[in-house]
Amino acid sequence: MGLTQILVFLLIAIAVGLLLKQERRSWAIFLVSLLSVYLFQPLVPLRDFGFWFPTASILLTAGTWLVVRGEDQKIEPEDIIAGGLSVLIIILVSMNRFVPLEIAWLPGSVPPLLSVLVFLSIFTVLGWVVSVRYEIRRLGTWIYLFGLIGIFVVIKTQPLMLWLSELLREMIGQSTALASTLDFSWLGFSYISFRLLHTLRDRHSGRLPAVSLRDFMTYVLFFPALVAGPIDRIERFVQDLQTSEALDGEQIVAAGRRILLGLVKKFALADGLALLALSPTTAPALRSAGWAWVLLYGYSFQLFFDFSGYTDIAIGMGILTGVTLPENFDQPYLKSNMTTFWNSWHMTLARWFRSYFFNPLTRALRSGLLRNSPGLIVLIGQFSTMLLIGLWHGITWNFALWGLWHGVGLFIHNRWVNYLRARSGPGLITSLPEAATRGLGTLVTFHFTALGWVWFALSDFEMSVNVFRTLFGMTG
Amino acid sequence: MQTEIKEFIQREILKDSGRDIASDEALISSGLIDSFSLVDIALFVEESYGVRIDDAELSTETFDTLAELAALVEQRR
Repeated sequence: MGLTQILVFLLIAIAVGLLLKQERRSWAIFLVSLLSVYLFQPLVPLRDFGFWFPTASILLTAGTWLVVRGEDQKIEPEDIIAGGLSVLIIILVSMNRFVPLEIAWLPGSVPPLLSVLVFLSIFTVLGWVVSVRYEIRRLGTWIYLFGLIGIFVVIKTQPLMLWLSELLREMIGQSTALASTLDFSWLGFSYISFRLLHTLRDRHSGRLPAVSLRDFMTYVLFFPALVAGPIDRIERFVQDLQTSEALDGEQIVAAGRRILLGLVKKFALADGLALLALSPTTAPALRSAGWAWVLLYGYSFQLFFDFSGYTDIAIGMGILTGVTLPENFDQPYLKSNMTTFWNSWHMTLARWFRSYFFNPLTRALRSGLLRNSPGLIVLIGQFSTMLLIGLWHGITWNFALWGLWHGVGLFIHNRWVNYLRARSGPGLITSLPEAATRGLGTLVTFHFTALGWVWFALSDFEMSVNVFRTLFGMTG
Repeated sequence: MQTEIKEFIQREILKDSGRDIASDEALISSGLIDSFSLVDIALFVEESYGVRIDDAELSTETFDTLAELAALVEQRR
């Protein structure tokens, strides 16, 4: 999302918030969100996929809604209107080819209208058939669950992605030699799929509230949170949509400050620090330990300002449209241990993994086979969760190592706390004044996290090891 | 009930019965209780009071203090 796009959507958010109320506002947010799926999608070399990816995001969302409806939730006239408007927008966007290039709303090519219509018809008929009977819907929730995970794995794993890209290129008659990972820049899929998985799992546990198609799609594709989160929870989000009051002056000021803060973090601090940050381009030229540390600190703050700046902008725009998105960061680098770090870094993703992976796993192990070995349960739970959080960013060895690095950090912290709690009487560490232990903790936690970014910032194992060597003066 | 939950936390999680916990003290956001112990608290509450706390509810958004947890359990009993 570039500065121009942010400003355009900021104006839209202000207009929606100031001019519209209640139902009208909800419909406006819905339509803007649908359009934003196309407008934020970057250009992809794969022909027509700048159109197909956003379309797939919309259809997967609508399809998931069809199957997650509760047993007695009927399709209401309002849902048919929302579905009809979605189809209308898809068709409207596919008309892009008839518009002169200067005023076209999509930078890339779009498929012929006929193939769009055929595709939409097949999808509608299939969706309808699957969703009529509740038993088939239940089966459908599992098909969507595994389907979404399947797509996620394919587009996050480079060799699989290249294989699929070659396959698709052959089908549409494009040069297979040019297949690249750029072919699969599917905007927002990591966030969209995790929101959908959350609704599917909540359907399975019976927690999912009855939500209209319009509100469901707005939740998944909400334009402020489409590109970089946060991952809200549907019951909370929908409550905000339904109770949104007219904007008051205080909210506008709060939103304005938040957005301004985000813009400064993202476009001044993060983009400025990018010149001094560890990256696959700067890493190979490193010779001295001093510079290596400068670049590592640079990257640590660049990443934080970039990501938390985005979140500030998203939250600010959310306020303007009447939705209070959840916080994603809470001064993570000032935390004094790994546990509180992970309570304050990418909080909504960490919470997602706790809710749908770590807690069920720990619960199962705790009441099953391993009930008497808490240490082992902590080890398994934390390592596997952090490994998956790492792989969420991309299925590569380096992201896996980054995840495991944090798994080790969390495990050591857990055991350390346990050790301190088990022993009685003051020890060396516990006898220090609290401010000193806290300060020491923050210093250690920050450096552990910063060193972990070496895996995260670089895509190559050998390059990362070399940076570690340089950092600790072990070169030559 | 709040006292029983408090005693469980002191005995099984903090391993220090002398460490008092105020009913409005932040448990999760302060890091006093990690995510692993949170599952233990859920299992204890479920077994003792016959209520269900969903895995997705084990977070500060549902409860962060003893008083909030006790209120949640009371409401479901």
